[in-house]
Amino acid sequence: MVRFKHRYLLCELVSDDPRCRLTLEDRVLVGLIRDTIARVHGTFGAAACSIGFAVRYLNAYTGIVLLRCRKEFYRLVWSALPFITYLESKGHRYPCFFNTLHVGGTIRTCQKFLIQYNRRQLLILLQNCTDEGEREAIQKSVAKSCLLEESSEEEGASDSGGEEAAEAMAS
Amino acid sequence: MSNAKERKHAKKMRNQPTNVTLSSGFAAERSMKHHIGGGKPFNAQKQEPHSGTTRQRQTRMTPHSLSEPDGNELCSSKVTFKKKGGWKAGPEGTSQEIPKYITASTFAQARAAEIRAMLKAVTQKSSNSLVFQTLPRHMRRRAMSHNVRRLPRRLQEMAQKEAEKAVHQKKEHSKNKCHKARRCHINRVLEFNRRQKKNMWLETHIWHAKRFHMVKKWGYCLGERPTVKSHRACYRAMTSRCLLQDLSYYCCLELKGKEEEILKALSQMCSMDTGLTFAAVHCLSGKRQGSLMLYRANKYPREVLGPATFIWRAETTPGDPSESRQLWIWLHPTLKQDILEEIKTVCQCTEPIRPTLGIPDPLQTQSQEKNQAELPEEQIGKKRKRKDNGEIVKPIKKVIGDGTRDPHQPYAWLSLTTGILISDLTTEMNRFRLIGPLSHSILTEALKAAAVHTEGQDTEETPHHWWMEACKNPDSVCLHRKQEAVFELLGGITSPAEIPAGTVLGLTIGDPRINLPQKRTKASTNPEKCLDNEKVRQLLLEGVPVECTHSFIWDQDICKSVTENKIPDQDLNRMRSELLVPGSQLVLGSRESKIPILLIQQPGRVTGEDRRGWGSGWDVLLPKGWGMAFWIPFIYRGARVGGLKETVVHSQYKRSPSIPGDFPDCPAGILFAEEQAKNLLEKYKRRPPAKRPNYVKLGTLAPFCCPWEQLAQDWESRVQAQDESSIASSPDGEESDLSSGDEVLGAAEPATGPQLSDDVGTSAFDPKEPEEGMDTECQVQAGPERVKDLGSGENCAAAPGGQLCVLRSRKLLKRLSAWCGPSSEDGRAARRAPCRRQEELTREAWLPILEHFPRALVWVSLSLLGKGSPEPHTMICIPAQEDFLRLREDRRYCGPQEPKHRDPFKSKILKQKEKKKLEKRKQRGCATSMDLAGGDPVARQEALPLGLWSGPLPAVTTHCSRVLLGFVTQGDFSMAVGCGEALGFVSLTGLLHVLASQPAAERGLVLLRPPASLQYRFARIAIEV
Repeated sequence: MVRFKHRYLLCELVSDDPRCRLTLEDRVLVGLIRDTIARVHGTFGAAACSIGFAVRYLNAYTGIVLLRCRKEFYRLVWSALPFITYLESKGHRYPCFFNTLHVGGTIRTCQKFLIQYNRRQLLILLQNCTDEGEREAIQKSVAKSCLLEESSEEEGASDSGGEEAAEAMAS
Repeated sequence: MSNAKERKHAKKMRNQPTNVTLSSGFAAERSMKHHIGGGKPFNAQKQEPHSGTTRQRQTRMTPHSLSEPDGNELCSSKVTFKKKGGWKAGPEGTSQEIPKYITASTFAQARAAEIRAMLKAVTQKSSNSLVFQTLPRHMRRRAMSHNVRRLPRRLQEMAQKEAEKAVHQKKEHSKNKCHKARRCHINRVLEFNRRQKKNMWLETHIWHAKRFHMVKKWGYCLGERPTVKSHRACYRAMTSRCLLQDLSYYCCLELKGKEEEILKALSQMCSMDTGLTFAAVHCLSGKRQGSLMLYRANKYPREVLGPATFIWRAETTPGDPSESRQLWIWLHPTLKQDILEEIKTVCQCTEPIRPTLGIPDPLQTQSQEKNQAELPEEQIGKKRKRKDNGEIVKPIKKVIGDGTRDPHQPYAWLSLTTGILISDLTTEMNRFRLIGPLSHSILTEALKAAAVHTEGQDTEETPHHWWMEACKNPDSVCLHRKQEAVFELLGGITSPAEIPAGTVLGLTIGDPRINLPQKRTKASTNPEKCLDNEKVRQLLLEGVPVECTHSFIWDQDICKSVTENKIPDQDLNRMRSELLVPGSQLVLGSRESKIPILLIQQPGRVTGEDRRGWGSGWDVLLPKGWGMAFWIPFIYRGARVGGLKETVVHSQYKRSPSIPGDFPDCPAGILFAEEQAKNLLEKYKRRPPAKRPNYVKLGTLAPFCCPWEQLAQDWESRVQAQDESSIASSPDGEESDLSSGDEVLGAAEPATGPQLSDDVGTSAFDPKEPEEGMDTECQVQAGPERVKDLGSGENCAAAPGGQLCVLRSRKLLKRLSAWCGPSSEDGRAARRAPCRRQEELTREAWLPILEHFPRALVWVSLSLLGKGSPEPHTMICIPAQEDFLRLREDRRYCGPQEPKHRDPFKSKILKQKEKKKLEKRKQRGCATSMDLAGGDPVARQEALPLGLWSGPLPAVTTHCSRVLLGFVTQGDFSMAVGCGEALGFVSLTGLLHVLASQPAAERGLVLLRPPASLQYRFARIAIEV
């Protein structure tokens, strides 16, 4: 197939400061990474990585970030990530760092990996849980995440219907 | 566009997870909302007492993300979830107090939600493709879309759902029978009969439907043009080989009665002025086919009804006045209703003959019996019931029927006073037309004269009694031999044009399916047949002898028996397969069908000087039911088949008016023009305004129809105004005009040289010239009573009639055509007018014509001098003086340009549009205002297409920079001549004025301008008689 090949970096943002979460946003993140690459790899690096660079997915609650860059230069991005130590926005600086979980060729593989990873996390959480109430809550959420497969179909149907209606309203 | 693109993208990204941030309060998180499944657990969680111990535990549990749960907890607690449980962030202010506790449950919740989102993205495919399309190439298998089991297990379920959906989407077609049942013969015939209820099929319909674009026209289903690319091939077939056409849709009216009665009645409908009438000697004897124009009774030259051809049945005992004669009039289906009505009134035939009236009706045939079955109650006889039963048992193939008349209407009328019986023989016969020089050889190869039945053969089993009867009579056997000999002679003649126009030859032939070649072959002329030179010469000179025109096809009973006793194709093929030696000649002996046919020579191009006899051929009349039996043998001999489009091309190259498009004064022609205008307008409106010509700017007032009435009126008033002014200015205007005309003629005299050779060539080529003279003479002898008729016609013409008419008087046309050419006075005049002195183009000469025909049109042919190919509705204009000057300077000067016009309607249309927009906006604003909604459709109706003249047309003649003279009705690049050629009508008044005003050397030059162009091009006008 003729297409641009990409690499997707699945990272996890780890920060002590909870306010760091609040500031986690697309634009902030892109700016931050670009600056870091420029600092680490110079102008060439920044230019090489800016082509096709994007944040494809971001979840502030779990701190998961999916970055996209061209296949040729993903090493530059990858190697620059450890140098991020602060998340800067609105004049505040929050210390944080990036944990790269997975490097994949498609979004799909990254998503699959993320499912596995989150499941593992939940399992560990469940095993080490001591409080009864919390154990129940975790079990519930684990069950919910697994039950999805059955219920997703109907949801999808209702979802699309709702979406269309919403679109009609918007237009 | 962008909207659709967006929607497509949205659909594709439907299942993909979106970004989740705290501050954005995601409006876009619709998908997430659903997965979280209500925020109640969250809320419940929040109210739980948070213990600090959990926090420590958690940090221990996830050592690699030490600080993370902390942050997570903190924000989640700060966040106030919406009731529906979206990831709704709370108040924007980020600097709120940080909670002290953390729970593992929120951490788990967040993870769970993410897992769900991801799962959804992973498991559900993006929407725009089918399941098997998402598979990589190497995993695809054949027929995956049909057979679910060929897919991998994990995808089978989804594919199943998709397949079901697709089945639902498919159009539900009503199959009350299975495929096999539908294909079975009886059901197919039923279905075919149902499908041709509205528009009748010809016998060759199925053959045509497989190879032609079919159109529903005139109550028939007709082949418009072949699906293969064959414009040029058909032209070549017409000129050098053979083109075959099925003209069975032509209507035939039969008149039976005493000769003088019929002639007396019909003479009111035609005029000697337009050419030969029904009483022409050659036609009356049955030797030739005649053609003429029909008018409403005694209305000549106005109220034309249309052209027709006719054949008289040859007299069995010549010279017997009391004998009942038979006349067939062949008409185009569009003209039939009018002409039939008129003939009925003329012959005073008011008494419709019902089949129940005991009169032995010759028309009684299978189909009509079938039609009768549908007749209302009062017309039922005994036959109906019998037929009904028959129908229930076995549906008969509807061999015939009629597209042009209601089955409930009678089809025969008798006049009690004159004794004339009119019957409508439409679709009782097939008419095939062969055009081109090879039509002789195809005919002689495909058709073989029937074997004469001899006494010795067994007589009981054969169904062809009529033929046996005929064979008992030595005279008719002798006649048959004679016809056969003439027919054989035809094979040696190179072109049908050599035979006198309209020659009729009757014949009885054997079954043409018997000697069908194995493969499609190409017929060729074999000159060795022509050895008998003397006989051939005699045939060419005298035509077919009168007695040879006799054919049994005139006898309805025989026709009926021939139709009924046709051996089905199936039986014939079975017999062929049972032959001892496969592929040998099938000999049926006396069981072989004998078919009476009639061959009629069609004259090709009879007018003009070049290409005389082009497009001539033969028409074959067959009894019904035998269409395909003749059609296939003709094709197997190398005939190419043409459709309606080829008919138009043929008439265009022949320079004859095509029916009904080129008869603007007859009702069918007017109807046709209206329909055409409607179709063209629709086609025009389908394009966006920027992609279609703005005819207002181009100065084309009527791009889709020709406003003949207005053109004629304009010219009339123009001439009147001119006359008045000229008389007022100079009382001796006429004299000066006359003298100038003389000068003009004098100047033209010396230019005789080049024309002479041309003249010699044409006269040598032209065999029909003496013929024509003879015909007219004969006619004068034959019809003393028509002189009176002519007089009445002229009286009628002299009456000041404001109505539009087309000039068809041969005398006047001849005079006009002589005036038209630049060298009109030399060659042709010398040849044509030893008897008739050539009138000069003077005011005296043309004033009486104008008085007779104040609003007349003339049929002209135009050939372009240089570039350009005209199209229908092209305008014919008068060149100005400076155009001539420039043409004289530069022979290659291609013509002047029309300056661009202003479009006064554009601003109006734009204003209207804006108004509408405003109204719409208003409407949207206040949907309650009902009166506004009521007023809106009216405004919408008024909306005009941009680029067309709206409202009544202004003066058509003077709208452009060159004065308009007429319009082209047919025009194209002519492959025969090699330049653009057009046919059309011009105003007679205008034409005479132009001819008078132009100098002799350039007389007859006009300008042509297509509707979608500004360029004028020079063309030479000619009137061909």
